[in-house]
Amino acid sequence: MVPEVGAIRNEIRRLRFEHGEMTQQQLADRIHLTRQTVNAIEQGKYSPSLEAAFRIAAVFGEPLESVFRYTEGE
Amino acid sequence: MSFREKTAWVSVITMSAIYGVYFWTAVHGAAHDGSLHVGGLLQAIVALVAAQVVLITAAAIAAPRDAKAPRDERDRLIELRATRVAYAGLASSVAFACFFGAFDPPIVFNVNALLFILVASEVLRSAYQIIQYRRGA
Repeated sequence: MVPEVGAIRNEIRRLRFEHGEMTQQQLADRIHLTRQTVNAIEQGKYSPSLEAAFRIAAVFGEPLESVFRYTEGE
Repeated sequence: MSFREKTAWVSVITMSAIYGVYFWTAVHGAAHDGSLHVGGLLQAIVALVAAQVVLITAAAIAAPRDAKAPRDERDRLIELRATRVAYAGLASSVAFACFFGAFDPPIVFNVNALLFILVASEVLRSAYQIIQYRRGA
């Protein structure tokens, strides 16, 4: 039986709200990604590269593990 | 809809429509005498370039910020995945065409078959990009 793959969850939406209701476009501009990519990351449809993940965490001044969390599959 | 997705839509629609007319003419039209319909092919290429330039320029004017932004990592990943799928289609279709080439068909058939394979691969590539953009992948 093949084990289910886990998922990467994130707190970007909450962190954007807590940082002056930052828009997806504002975040995208600061990390050099498109707004559509930020939206896909936020919805968990796209897992960013490690470099992009670090850039996102740096924008919010949080450690990586506070922004992204890996959840094991069942 | 992102600018990249719009350009993929432009590619799918213009290539399907313009080369669709060309291949329809090549199969059913005046070129049925066995000669290559060079004029029609040139018309198709010019029409394709003109249509794509006009539509992509219009998309860029509508969203200049999106158009100026360079491809990001997700755009590049989607492009690579789409190219991989299209390459598989291209390679298998060319192998198929080579097999039929062994039966010595008219050269015009071979040329049009290879052109069709190239166009179909490009349409497949753009269509696969659209699917991935729609899924948000």
